[in-house]
Amino acid sequence: MANRGGAAQRPNSQTQGKICQFKLVLLGESAVGKSSLVLRFVKGQFHEYQESTIGAAFLTQTVCLEDTTVKFEIWDTAGQERYHSLAPMYYRGAQAAIIVYDITNMDSFGRAKVWVKELQRQASPNIVIALAGNKADLANSRAVECDEAQAYADENGLLFMETSAKTAKNVNEIFLAIAKKLPKNEQVSGAGSANQGRRLVESDSSAKTAGNCCK
Amino acid sequence: MEPRFAGMTFFATSHAGDVCGTNGLPLTPNSITIYGRSQILRTFSHPNLCTYLDIIRGKHERTMIVSEFHAQTLALLQEPLPLLGIVKLCHQTLTALSYINSHDIVHRCLAPDNIMINAKGNVKLFNYGLYYMTGKGSDVSFPIGNPRYMAPEVFLVDSQIASGPKVDVWSLGIILTEQALGVEQLWPELKLAQLMRKVLSLINCNSDTSVFSRIAREHSCWSKYESLPQSLVHLINSCLQLNPLDRPTPKELLEFPIFKEYSFDEYSLAERPDTLVETTHHLNSLPLQELYYLWRLAGGDVQSELKKQGLIRTMPPILSVPRLVLLEGSVLGKRRDQTSLLDLKIIPLSLESLRNRLAPVPVSAYYPLITTKSDVLNDAEECDAADLPLIIRERDTEYQFRRVVLFRRLLEGYPHTKSAIVREARKDIPPLYRGRVWAALLEVEGDIEAHYRETDKETPTHTDRQIEVDIPRCHQYDELLSSRDGHRKFKRVLKAWVERNPQYVYWQGLDSLCAPFIYLNFNNEAMAFACLSAFIPKYLHRFFLKDNSAVIREYLAKFTHVIAFHDPDLSNHLQEIGFIPELFAIPWFLTMFSHVFPLPKILHLWDQLLLGDASFPLYVGLAILQQHRDTLLSSGFNECILLFSDLPEVDIERCLSDSVAFYCCTPRSTTFRQHERCPSKAGLKNKPCHPDLEMSAQTVAELQAESCPRISGADLLDLLDSSKFPRPKVMVIDIRSPELYNVGSAPGSINIPHSRFDLTQEIPQLPSCPEVNILLQNRGKILVVAGQGDSPCAIQIAQIFLRNGLPKVCVLHRGIDVLQLANLLTKPTAI
Ligand SMILES: Nc1nc2c(ncn2[C@@H]2O[C@H](COP(=O)(O)OP(=O)(O)OP(=O)(O)O)[C@@H](O)[C@H]2O)c(=O)[nH]1
Ligand SMILES: [Mg+2]
Repeated sequence: MANRGGAAQRPNSQTQGKICQFKLVLLGESAVGKSSLVLRFVKGQFHEYQESTIGAAFLTQTVCLEDTTVKFEIWDTAGQERYHSLAPMYYRGAQAAIIVYDITNMDSFGRAKVWVKELQRQASPNIVIALAGNKADLANSRAVECDEAQAYADENGLLFMETSAKTAKNVNEIFLAIAKKLPKNEQVSGAGSANQGRRLVESDSSAKTAGNCCK
Repeated sequence: MEPRFAGMTFFATSHAGDVCGTNGLPLTPNSITIYGRSQILRTFSHPNLCTYLDIIRGKHERTMIVSEFHAQTLALLQEPLPLLGIVKLCHQTLTALSYINSHDIVHRCLAPDNIMINAKGNVKLFNYGLYYMTGKGSDVSFPIGNPRYMAPEVFLVDSQIASGPKVDVWSLGIILTEQALGVEQLWPELKLAQLMRKVLSLINCNSDTSVFSRIAREHSCWSKYESLPQSLVHLINSCLQLNPLDRPTPKELLEFPIFKEYSFDEYSLAERPDTLVETTHHLNSLPLQELYYLWRLAGGDVQSELKKQGLIRTMPPILSVPRLVLLEGSVLGKRRDQTSLLDLKIIPLSLESLRNRLAPVPVSAYYPLITTKSDVLNDAEECDAADLPLIIRERDTEYQFRRVVLFRRLLEGYPHTKSAIVREARKDIPPLYRGRVWAALLEVEGDIEAHYRETDKETPTHTDRQIEVDIPRCHQYDELLSSRDGHRKFKRVLKAWVERNPQYVYWQGLDSLCAPFIYLNFNNEAMAFACLSAFIPKYLHRFFLKDNSAVIREYLAKFTHVIAFHDPDLSNHLQEIGFIPELFAIPWFLTMFSHVFPLPKILHLWDQLLLGDASFPLYVGLAILQQHRDTLLSSGFNECILLFSDLPEVDIERCLSDSVAFYCCTPRSTTFRQHERCPSKAGLKNKPCHPDLEMSAQTVAELQAESCPRISGADLLDLLDSSKFPRPKVMVIDIRSPELYNVGSAPGSINIPHSRFDLTQEIPQLPSCPEVNILLQNRGKILVVAGQGDSPCAIQIAQIFLRNGLPKVCVLHRGIDVLQLANLLTKPTAI
C-alpha cells in the first residue's frame, strides 16, 4: 500500500539527468472521462464503471523525455458544477492543466471553454493547458467536430488531442506533449519532496509561477 | 422434514461477443437484467402462490431460482377431481392469477405440473414469474409455455407481441376440460408439431360447436360432457373462447355465479395421510424466508444441489471452442451446448442438515419472550457464538436463528419496541432484517407509501443529467444496483429526494448515499426513500445546500480537532506535512463513507453509525486514519495523499470498536457544530442550563485557527461532578494570574499563569515548573485550559500542549468565568 506511488513509476524512470516535478490538474464536465484518462495514464487500465469523483483524487506518474524525468502530480477533480468552489484549491499553483470534454456531448465542450477562460484569468500565467476531446472511440455519435475544437485550441494557444481512455488512444501522447512543453530549467535533487503537494494547496497568494518545477 | 423449497435453473441469452451499447460500454448482461427484474417477485405473498425466495446468478448467464415448493401437483393426482374439486381448483387459480395480473404479470406457462397443492389441499401456483422475469421471454432463447395448454393466438401472433392475462385463461380452460372430462391429458399421443397443429385447428370451431364440446367428442367423453352442470360448461366455454376479446379475464371470471353456487372452501384437493402432519417440526413455524436464510447458513448451496442432480453440467472448455472465428468476430462451428436448453426440472432442497444443525436449540428459542416493557427475556446470549467476531456471528446458523426470530418479533412490535430494537442492534443486526431494522433506528414511521406515491419522480429537471451519469458509476459491481431496475429505482428515489427538499440540491455523492438504502429495500422504494430522507438530516444536515462550503469546512475543522484531541502525534505530523482533511475527507463525510467503501463494509459501518449521533462519523474518520497511523507517521504529503486517494484496506469491525471507544471518552461539546441539526425532543433530557455554559457558534476561520477543540462549561461541570466520576477524569489548567487563581478556581485545578509560557517561540516548549510536572503526570485525563474569558492565550497554550504531544487537550469555552455561574469556584488547596 505504502509504495503505491512507487508502483506508478514506469520502469524507465532512471535517475540520471534532470528530475522535474509538475502539478497537473484535470478539469472538465462530469463524466467526460477525467478519472478514466488518469487511470489509463497511471495504471494502464480502464474501468467501465469508473466511480465518480467527489472532491478530488491525487495520483502520480513519471514519464521520461530524453534526459529529463518528469514526475506528474496529478489532481483529478470532481466535474459537477457544484464542486466548482473547490477547484481553485487544485489549479492554483498547477503548472499544467488538461481540460477534458466528451466529443459526443456539445455541452461538455462549452463547459471546457469556460474552464479555459477561468484558467487564463485565475491560474498561473505560464500554465500549460491542453484540451482533450475524450471518448474518441465513439466517433459514430460525435457531436463536437474535431476541426472546431482544433481551431478553438489554436486560437487560445492550447495543446489539443482527441483521446480515448477506453482504447488508450492519445492518452500517453497528451501527457507527453505537456511534459515537452513545460519549461525544465531547474533541477530537483530528489523526487517527491514532502512539501510539493502542500504548496499547491496553500499557495493562496497565487504568486506561484510556472516552471518552478523544483524545490 | 419435507423440503419446503426447490431450485431450478435456466440460461439467459448472452450478448454476442463484443457488442457495446451506444456509450461504448458493454451491455448489461441479460442475467443481470433478469436478476434485477425478478426481485419484486420475492415480495409476492398470496395464499395460492408459491413464494419466490431467491434468484441467483451463476456463471455464463445462468440463472437459478429458489421457490416455495410442494411435492403434490395437479399433474400427479391419481384421480380426476370431483365437481367440488374442480370449482375450488378453478377459483383458487383465478384468485392467484388475478393477483399477479394486478402486478402486470402473466403466468404464460400454466399447466398441471405448475399447479402445486399444499398440505392443506389448496392450490399453490408455481413458476408464475418465469415469463415476467425473462422480459416476456426476450432475455432467453427458449420458448416459454407448454404447447398443449397454450392459447392458439400465442402461435399465431408475432412472438414479439407480449401475452396478456387471457392467455392464462385459455390454459386454465384446457386444464379444467381435462379434469371435467376425466382425461388425464388431452391428445396424449400427439407429438409436439402435431400438438401445435391440433391447437390451431380448434380455430375452426364455430358458434354451434364450442371448443369444449369438440374436445369432448374427440375424446369420446360425450356422455360425461352432457352430465356436467350447466354452470361449469359455461365457465369452461368462456375460458376456451377462441377470440381473446370474447374471453373474460381472471378477474371477470371470479364473478361467475358458479363460485356462489358451490361451497368448496372445506374441500381439500388432495387427501394426505395424517402421519405427515405428525412430523411437523417447529422449524415450520418460521416464515419461509427465514427458513431459506438459515438453510443457506447451514451450508445449503443451490448451485451445488443442482449440480448433484445433474441439472448443471460442466463441460471442459475445449469442447465449446468454435471451429472458426472470423476477423470481424463472428463465430462458426460452435456446437450447441445441450445444457443451454430449458430443463425445468425442479429440485427440492432438503432441510435435513438445517434441522440437524438446529437440533440442540430448545423449543423455547422459537418463541422468545418479550415483556410489555419490551425487555427480552430469552436472548441469544445463551448461544456459544455470542462472543465471536461479527463476521462469524453472521454466519453462525444457531446464532442467526436466535437473532432473526428475536428481531422478527421486535419488528412486529415497532414502534413500541423501539428501545429494545436499539438495545439489540448494539449487539448486531441480522442481515436478513437489516433494512427494516435500519428503518426502525431511523425512526421511519407513518404512511411512507402515500408520501412517496405523491412525490413527483418523473418530471424532467436540470439535475437529471448528473443523476444519469452518476448512477451507472455507483456501486456497479453489485448485481442489484447495476440492473436496469436498480438504475430506475436509483433515479426515482434521487429525483424524489431532490423534489421533496427544495432547500437542497443534488450533489454528486448523494447517489452513493442512496445506494445502501436501495440495496436493502430493493422491493420497497418508498422505504428506501424514507430512510434516505431520515438519514440526511440526522448526519448530513445542510450538507446539500447549494452553497455548503461553510458546513463542510466547519465539519472538517471539527475533524481536525478530533484528531488533535485523541492523537496529538498524528495530528502534529499531518499538520506539518499539510495533509489537511479538505484534500481527502470530503468524500468520507459527504457520503458517510458510502462512496469509499464497498457495500458489505458500508452495511456494517452504518449498523453502528445509525446508533450514534451526528458526531459519531468524526470518530470513524479518526479510527480509519489510525489504522494507517504508522504509514502516515512515516510518510510525506504525497505518500499520504496517495494512500487515501483510493481508500486502503480498513478493518471495519476494529474501526467501529475504536470509534465507539473514542466517542465514549469525548465530551460531546468538543464536537459541537453550529450546522448540526438542533437536537430534537429526545436530546433535551438534560436540564437546561445557563446559555453561557453551552457552546455557541464560532466562525470557520476561528475554528481553523484553533488547534484544539473547546469544551462547554456544562460539560466541564459534568466531568467535575465527583458523584459521577469518583476518580477525576479531567484536570483544569488555570492560566490566569496567581492572584485571580487564589481567589477562586475550579476544583482540582492547577495554576500555570500564561506569563510562564513563551508564546513567541517557533517550537513552543513547556515551561519547567512543578505544575507542569503535575500536568504531565495527569496525561490521559481531559486537560481543560481555562483563561479569563475567551482568552487568546488559552488557545495558544492548548496548542503548545498539543505540539508537545499531550492528548485530550481542550479549551474552556468562555473561560473560567462560566464556572462562576455555577458557583463552583473554590479556594484552591495546596497540592
Ligand atoms: N466509450 C468511452 N467511455 C469512456 C471513456 N472515458 C471514460 N468513459 C466512460 O465515461 C464514464 C465517465 O468517466 P469518468 O472517468 O468517471 O468521468 P469523470 O470526468 O472523471 O467524471 P466526474 O468524476 O464525475 O467528474 C465512465 O462510465 C467511463 O467508463 C472513453 O474514452 N470512451
Ligand atoms: Mg472522475
